[in-house]
Amino acid sequence: MKKRLTALVLAFAMIFTMTVLTACGGNQGDQADQGDQSEGRTFVMGIDPEYPPFSYLGDNGEYTGFDVDVARAVCDKLGWQLEIFELNWDNRYIQLDNNECDCVWSGMTILESTKEEGYVLSAPYFDNSQVLMVKADSGIASSADLAGKDVGVQLGTSGDILLGEDLAELAGTFNSVVRSDSFLKCFTELDGGAVDAVLVDAPVAASYAAEHDGFVILDEKLGGEQYGICFRSGDQELCDEVEGAIQELVADGTYKQIAEKEEYGEIINSLIFLQQ
Amino acid sequence: MSLWTMIVSMAEGLERTCAIFFLTLIFSLPLGMCVALLRMSKNKVVANATRFVISVLRGTPLMLQLLAVTYGPYYLFGIGVARNKLIPVVIAFAINYAAYFAEIYRGGIESIPLGQYEAANVLGYTKTQTFIRIILPQVVKRIMPSVTNEVVTLVKDTSLAFTVSYQEMFTIGKQIANSQTSFMPFVVAGVFYFVFNAIVDYGMGRIENRLDYYN
Amino acid sequence: MILEMKNIEKSFGDLEVLKDISFGVDRSEVVSIIGPSGSGKSTLLRCATFLETIDGGEISYMGEKAAHTDSNGRAVYVTPNELRHFRKYCGLVFQQFNLFPHYSILKNLTDAPIHVQGVSREEAEETAMDLLRKMGIEDKANAYPYQLSGGQQQRVAIARAMAMKPEILFFDEPTSALDPELTGEVLKVIRQLAEEKMTMVVVTHEMPFARAVSNRVIFMEGGVIVEQGDPRDVFGDPQEERTKQFLRVFER
Repeated sequence: MKKRLTALVLAFAMIFTMTVLTACGGNQGDQADQGDQSEGRTFVMGIDPEYPPFSYLGDNGEYTGFDVDVARAVCDKLGWQLEIFELNWDNRYIQLDNNECDCVWSGMTILESTKEEGYVLSAPYFDNSQVLMVKADSGIASSADLAGKDVGVQLGTSGDILLGEDLAELAGTFNSVVRSDSFLKCFTELDGGAVDAVLVDAPVAASYAAEHDGFVILDEKLGGEQYGICFRSGDQELCDEVEGAIQELVADGTYKQIAEKEEYGEIINSLIFLQQ
Repeated sequence: MSLWTMIVSMAEGLERTCAIFFLTLIFSLPLGMCVALLRMSKNKVVANATRFVISVLRGTPLMLQLLAVTYGPYYLFGIGVARNKLIPVVIAFAINYAAYFAEIYRGGIESIPLGQYEAANVLGYTKTQTFIRIILPQVVKRIMPSVTNEVVTLVKDTSLAFTVSYQEMFTIGKQIANSQTSFMPFVVAGVFYFVFNAIVDYGMGRIENRLDYYN
Repeated sequence: MILEMKNIEKSFGDLEVLKDISFGVDRSEVVSIIGPSGSGKSTLLRCATFLETIDGGEISYMGEKAAHTDSNGRAVYVTPNELRHFRKYCGLVFQQFNLFPHYSILKNLTDAPIHVQGVSREEAEETAMDLLRKMGIEDKANAYPYQLSGGQQQRVAIARAMAMKPEILFFDEPTSALDPELTGEVLKVIRQLAEEKMTMVVVTHEMPFARAVSNRVIFMEGGVIVEQGDPRDVFGDPQEERTKQFLRVFER
């Protein structure tokens, strides 16, 4: 009797959970769309708060980074209010669909699958490539030297996805792929000797190596990729507005000014709009 | 990716989840008893120091303790980060759970009437005999429901191992969710945890029943 | 003399519970200790069975000293190991029985003989069954304490103490926790032990029982022995005013 009651209660709990999950998926597009009357609207930018130099917590305790600065300039231009939302990067699509933010704008790689899912993507603004960072004294000179080694990567980043797809063959030669939930942990693992190399976005590697001694970035480029801003499906109009404002910023030099900030390192070399 | 492939790859991570689960129990259950005895020590300094440690362990997130155990030695002393993450993960889990078990044990031990100690004392049992033959069996019966609670929590807590890049079942689920832009792996993970806990519940229920021969 | 306690002093904090108490028990003697609550009767028993430590005085069993007062006036006990040797001389039956709930009745009786005294299982079980038969509860050997009535539990507790073959058995208000209709069966067992010449000290409020069974009655009040002697004298012709007052309450 007691057991049957337990089973019944558990079944109810299960059904309740399922219902909540379904409900969460179903309420697309009610909150964020409300402020669509451009003037004075609040623009919620979803960022990975640990992704320098694109988006990160600055020394003054406020979010900063290239993407954040550009977004701020865009909002100034359009008279919008900027709000920053910290994404859980692994769940960014779910959070975007959930209207927790208006866009994902945080050095996000444009993937075919993202387009296929129906998300609206801006034109790519950054050409990124994956590089390997190793310790200076490791003796590792190319990806070929990584056979039997442990390689770190941030879960859900393009490096991680590449290792499962285009770089699967290379990944097969590794002893293991160690997935962490932030770049800081990847680098700590590398520094602490738990992994032999970290597969990481080139600008992230560059800015880290610039601040910390003893790291070397291998010249080899492992897969190129481009960054764009991701909006919900149906938000083409919002995307166009933002892109238009960015082009104005490029034209008036504000964009270049932001890119030249010292703390953003070599980012300027990979910005597509500044190379045209 | 088919649902079946998804389940198979996540099941591989289940092995690591089980490793955390069983190793944590193996170490924390006895360690908790040692901590409980220190906590009840007649030496005030020892008792208070233990009490403080327990309150730190219970008052800070397990996630933070995992980070501290895994990366702390490196940041503080430059000792390398362990390649096999199972070691720091089990250390952190075992210490954390020992603190919880210690408080459960203490509650159980303190709930045994003084008369039991006195009866054993008069009959000539040594302190160790009294504890092992008379007190402990009664404590075990009394604390079973609370222990079951903790064990169920432990099943779910194993997913925290991801914080220090240990790839257990939930991490693999996240990874698949990410590359497939699908919510399905989370549902699969939910079912896995549920089934795991159903088994744990059944096992603990059996033990409780076996202890039910007296009131 | 089986037990001899001399000049026993015991305080809890500022409260003096036993004030210079001396008394002895001879083989086959049955001593009843009576007196109002808070008079120190139970404490005296607990000191005799080493559940409490005395502050001053001397405790000897069979002529061997377990505790004595040193030159500083403080009580000194033998080592814990040696003390266990003294414990086997005495048994104690508690007011609240204090049976081990997780052990069957039989195991309650055999566990200590086997694991403390090193008696063989066969012998311990034989002794236990004999005792249970004597207590009239041999059919409960495999039951657990919670399945027994209070009177039955107390008889098991007596049997458990007897299973250790003590030289002297102490009873701390053995019927106070029992319903009135159950006290008889327990008193009957104690009476039976008295007939078998078991040495016993009983703290009790059962005056008729004390009068009928004991060889000597001790009346305690305020931590001292006010009066003691043959039950016929103490109950029939008390010498002290305080004894008279106390007994008057019970006669009503």
